[in-house]
Amino acid sequence: MSRVFITGMGSISSLGLTVEEQLKRLRSEKTGIGVAKHFKSTYSTSLPFAEIDLSDEELIQLTGFNKKGATRTTLIAMKAFQEAIECSQLKEDELTSFRTAFISSSTVGGMCYTDSLYADANRIGNKSEFFYAYEGSNHLIEIIKHYNLNGYSDVINTACSSSANAIMLGAKLIQSGRVDRAIVGGADCLAKFTVNGFNSLRILNASPCKPFDANREGLTLGEGAAYLVLESDKVYGQKIPLAELVGYGNANDAFHPSATSDDARGPIKAMNLALGVAGIDPEKIDYVNAHGTGTENNDATEFFAFQQVFGNQIPLFSSTKAYTGHTLAAAGALEAMICILSIRNKEIYPNLNFDTPLSPDVVDSIVTKRTDVDQMKYVMSNSFGFGGNGTSLIFSSCI
Amino acid sequence: MYLIDVIAISPQRTFTDEFISGDFQIHTEGKMLAIEPSYMDLIPASLLRRMGKAVRMGIGAGLPLIKNYSSIEGVIIGTANGGLEDCIKFLNQIVEYEEGVLTPTNFVSSTPNAVAGQLAMMGQKTGYNSTHTNGSLSFDNVLLDASLYLNEQQQDATLLIGALEEISAYNYNIDQINELYKDELVSNDELLNTKTKGSICGEGATMFVVSNNPNGAKVRYIDQFQITYPSKTNFSQLVEEFLKVNNLHPSEIDLLLFGNSGDVRHDHWYEDLHQDLFADKPVYTYKQFCGDYRTSNGFACYLAMQLVREDFKIHGFEVTSKPKYVLIYNQFLSARHGLILFELL
Amino acid sequence: MEITRDELKLEFKKHLVTYLNLLDVKPEEIKDDEPLFGGDLGLDSIDSVEMIVLLDREYGIKIKNPTEGRQILVDVNTIVDYIIANRTK
Repeated sequence: MSRVFITGMGSISSLGLTVEEQLKRLRSEKTGIGVAKHFKSTYSTSLPFAEIDLSDEELIQLTGFNKKGATRTTLIAMKAFQEAIECSQLKEDELTSFRTAFISSSTVGGMCYTDSLYADANRIGNKSEFFYAYEGSNHLIEIIKHYNLNGYSDVINTACSSSANAIMLGAKLIQSGRVDRAIVGGADCLAKFTVNGFNSLRILNASPCKPFDANREGLTLGEGAAYLVLESDKVYGQKIPLAELVGYGNANDAFHPSATSDDARGPIKAMNLALGVAGIDPEKIDYVNAHGTGTENNDATEFFAFQQVFGNQIPLFSSTKAYTGHTLAAAGALEAMICILSIRNKEIYPNLNFDTPLSPDVVDSIVTKRTDVDQMKYVMSNSFGFGGNGTSLIFSSCI
Repeated sequence: MYLIDVIAISPQRTFTDEFISGDFQIHTEGKMLAIEPSYMDLIPASLLRRMGKAVRMGIGAGLPLIKNYSSIEGVIIGTANGGLEDCIKFLNQIVEYEEGVLTPTNFVSSTPNAVAGQLAMMGQKTGYNSTHTNGSLSFDNVLLDASLYLNEQQQDATLLIGALEEISAYNYNIDQINELYKDELVSNDELLNTKTKGSICGEGATMFVVSNNPNGAKVRYIDQFQITYPSKTNFSQLVEEFLKVNNLHPSEIDLLLFGNSGDVRHDHWYEDLHQDLFADKPVYTYKQFCGDYRTSNGFACYLAMQLVREDFKIHGFEVTSKPKYVLIYNQFLSARHGLILFELL
Repeated sequence: MEITRDELKLEFKKHLVTYLNLLDVKPEEIKDDEPLFGGDLGLDSIDSVEMIVLLDREYGIKIKNPTEGRQILVDVNTIVDYIIANRTK
């Protein structure tokens, strides 16, 4: 069976416009959460957001993608996609090959233009410029058209675990022999729809999120896009891969539409499945990038899951959502990128905004300052979403 | 991968035996609304009260299968839009109340993976769970995802998979702006005779039990092929190559089930493929039954499962000896094209 | 216009049925002292947020979150008492 290597990645978030910019920001422990400048909402000044510091017009300049009605989601997806394929040095025939899959994800899609959608859906006035672009899969179609992609395409929407599931599916496609490579990830923008949605559930924090902290009061929304280029060991040739994807697992908590069960059976099952696929014992994990949204429910249940899976030896862990905010569908891929940076640089980016642990044991393992480590062989990344959907990925270094 | 069982809620009386016994519902209002069962016996009121139509149909079709097949481990659903009605209701609240104090129910049930999540919750299924939202390839994606999962398992494994789409006033409006539907009123029995632009909107939920163990199944999923924005010049050749990879020649395909939609702008894809590769065979269509919607090929797969009955001579089918290989072809607005290959056992 | 406590109780029950979309429940059937959570109505955390919205929109009462609401959202009696004491509409 083929092995699955990451040969390229591209990303844009509140931390920077490229992977390199984001690495600098991660190292300097500077959060991307702040005051939104471009996002228009009643909450723009009263709630913190992790916004990409570019207007839509500036994103058009940056990507050179000037199509009328191109949504912000499409623009950031394009940017990240461009960087990923350049990083992987994919040749034109490889990119357009029938054996190159493209799997993306988005929860908001073109619905970031709430007011236009309201008008078009209620047939008020003339059609907006976004009339064709509301579907979550629209950005995929634009990328396919722009790059003449011919291979298997897919869009996944499992809320917060979407792009983690896209990565997992890409790996399975490669291992089945059906494709040689898969470009996988996702994109999501700040949108009135999700801001008001999470706010209506009372899980948005009035100040920046505090993952795993006893005084956490909810999540902070962010926006971003990230893509990984996965390639089979049979085709990546002379390239030096960034990391290897060795484990993955998906499970459903089957408890409640928007909360995790107290016994965290879904997260525990997902993590154990990933360890099983990787063929390693839990103590081999050097670092966990937690889902860690900063909600009362997620962090408590996720830490409980750590205790069940890892016993007394919970690995070093952090949630980087206090850097990036919760980027919804993009979170899995964005955090995969962060894990790979961790692996390559043998360092852990901290769990910012941490003051008081939600329980005493947290202190033993949580990383609160940027930390160099001697060993970074296996790294786990978790994403747990609405509908009980949970996915765990395990990356390993190549050396 | 074997297709063991199916339940369909559609604009025909497919939830009961009437459609299979020959009943054909004619819709004259321009929208083909699904004929829904009474859900009060199927779904607890405490959950039903929160469900928009898409979720109701998905649960209504899926839950009985979950109850009857305890071996089901996980759920995979394909839907282009999910519960768009709930989504727009929430958006309307945002605008009406100027982002003030809003009720969360519409938001929670509008997420496209709400159905897969609810089915998992109601059936206590903690296994693999996913939702594909790739427009008109969503159900094709589901089939491949399911077959990958089932082929990986060391033991017998079973999944619930489905195709789902609802008509809501709101997504209908947006689709109208995008010129998907006919300007004139046409009934579904006349649809495929029209030579004008647009089709008629349909909706439905089609849920399947699939397994890696034959279990007396009558339908085996072999493979699929998909392409977005293909070139007209080599499309038929690509289809021929797809069949070849599966050790089949076009002449061996016994039954063609195509997604002709009555849209004069786009139906030529079906006509051309028919002429190029299958000129000596009749083409059967399915959108006269279910209307046109992104995941309508789920309904086509439901029909394929009915074709295993001998002498299937209802609804215009003239099948005397059981076909062996069935090819389903669906495309949407000339953009996304999907072919599904089944073997009837 | 003065409204009696009994009228307010019935009015609140009608709002409850509407906001929570309680399909097979008539407002008059809801008992005044029946626990809303953990009782026969089968309400959950999403419903508690819906009730906070109900109290805001219909009676101008602001409750910050379900935790704060736990003491108030016990049964019809406690809620109606709270409405009488705190309504701004």
